[in-house]
Amino acid sequence: MSLTTQQLSLRTGTRALVDTLDLALEPGEVLGILGANGAGKSTLLTVLAGLARPAQGQVLLDGQSLADLPPLTRAQHIGLLPQGDEGGFFGSVADFVALGHFPFSGPVPDLAPHLAAWELTDLANRPLDTLSGGERQRARLAQLAVQQPRIALLDEPLTHLDPAHQARLLAWARSEADAGRTVVLTLHDPNWAACHCDRLLFLHGDGRWQLGTPAGLLTPDSLEALYGPGTAALWRQGGRGQTV
Amino acid sequence: MQILTELRGPRVAAAFACGGLLALAGALMQTLFRNPLAEPYLLGVSGGAGLLALLGMAAGLAWPWISLLAFAGSLLALGLAAALGGRMLARDHTPLLLAGVMLAAGFGALIALVLSVAPAERLPGMLFFLMGDLAWTGNAPLLLAALGLAIAAALALSRRLDVLQLSPLKAASLGVAVAPTRWTLFGLAGACTSLVVAQAGSIGFVGLMVPHALRKLGFTGHRVLLPAAALAGGSLLVLADALARTVIEPRELPVGVLTALLGVPMMLWLLRRP
Repeated sequence: MSLTTQQLSLRTGTRALVDTLDLALEPGEVLGILGANGAGKSTLLTVLAGLARPAQGQVLLDGQSLADLPPLTRAQHIGLLPQGDEGGFFGSVADFVALGHFPFSGPVPDLAPHLAAWELTDLANRPLDTLSGGERQRARLAQLAVQQPRIALLDEPLTHLDPAHQARLLAWARSEADAGRTVVLTLHDPNWAACHCDRLLFLHGDGRWQLGTPAGLLTPDSLEALYGPGTAALWRQGGRGQTV
Repeated sequence: MQILTELRGPRVAAAFACGGLLALAGALMQTLFRNPLAEPYLLGVSGGAGLLALLGMAAGLAWPWISLLAFAGSLLALGLAAALGGRMLARDHTPLLLAGVMLAAGFGALIALVLSVAPAERLPGMLFFLMGDLAWTGNAPLLLAALGLAIAAALALSRRLDVLQLSPLKAASLGVAVAPTRWTLFGLAGACTSLVVAQAGSIGFVGLMVPHALRKLGFTGHRVLLPAAALAGGSLLVLADALARTVIEPRELPVGVLTALLGVPMMLWLLRRP
């Protein structure tokens, strides 16, 4: 039961972003994707979610091509937290969170635990567009939690979150993995990646990629190769420096 | 009694159906464009209808032909907007919006041209059409049937429309087929609007104000919003038309003037609510 890619290549215009990626996402793992701006992290998530076609290769869910799955079936298994806001939504926070149930039939499940988990209980009846950026990000995470996808793809989920809610996100990602689901997230903080991801995928933005464990991949040299000269020092100063 | 059943009744029914169709179309357009300022005429429907109807009037044609010309003109505008701006609709609605706004501007210029060269004795009829007028509307049963069908179709879409308020990528990730659903919305809103414009000209403001006001009052889920919009839009137009017929009796005002005069203060009052 997993999501795999076969010889997956991504392009933007004529530029190669990712070249022939073979990736097998295992149940119970948290995979972190790192790369510079424009390296193809969001594009890769969109393709893994079955919402864009790769230049070459394919994505398989339990051996079946994503392109052949009906949209609702796909949404029952794979969830995506894209970047960007939900500017056109006029309803309340609770209405917004409940939309996570859309792929499934039957009555909407009890939202209270999801609202409580993201500290949205007191905001539940507020119009979504009156929330702050961080509160809205929590509402989007709660919506994804209602969908409870077997494979959750999160594009920079730490954006706008204060440290307490970043920790909350970490706990959520780990508990999802412990329950046998898969969490994939893009992020920019190597310390976070070192401590909380089981595997990492580096995207160099020119077709090259590296897949491995945090211990194997996160070295000052590899970080400078990924982000450019002088960047490793930024994190060596930043606290948990033992891995970096 | 005869006056009630043969004159007033059909006109009130037609006014209700037109108002309902316009408000429903406005709600659908606001969801299609994820923008509370969207309205039924955004894509040039009223301009296309107005241009062909005015050309017909200038040529001396009578009412059923004017109505058919207006219907053809609105379909022409929708077709042009779709052909020029519809390619990216799965991801981005901006090209469609821009194409529609440009078409509306172009039609507006052509309408001004027709008005400036048209024979003077035909100008009042033209102006009434452009402002929206229910005096000619003869087909109440057709309009009511269309309203019923449109509400049913919109309700069948309502759960998907709730999701479609999110970004296209998020909506797609939740299993909504974004492009087909958006084209369905486009077609449904366009059909409602074209039908009204062909029967009653470009009655303004109902399609913008009613769904917007209902959203502000807390009708945010489409299952409730869409029928409520149809009901409130229909009621508003019945009221406006009653006033249009009576305030300066024995003459009539174009009902579009009254919808705006009633609607603007209501809208401003709503905006001031916390």
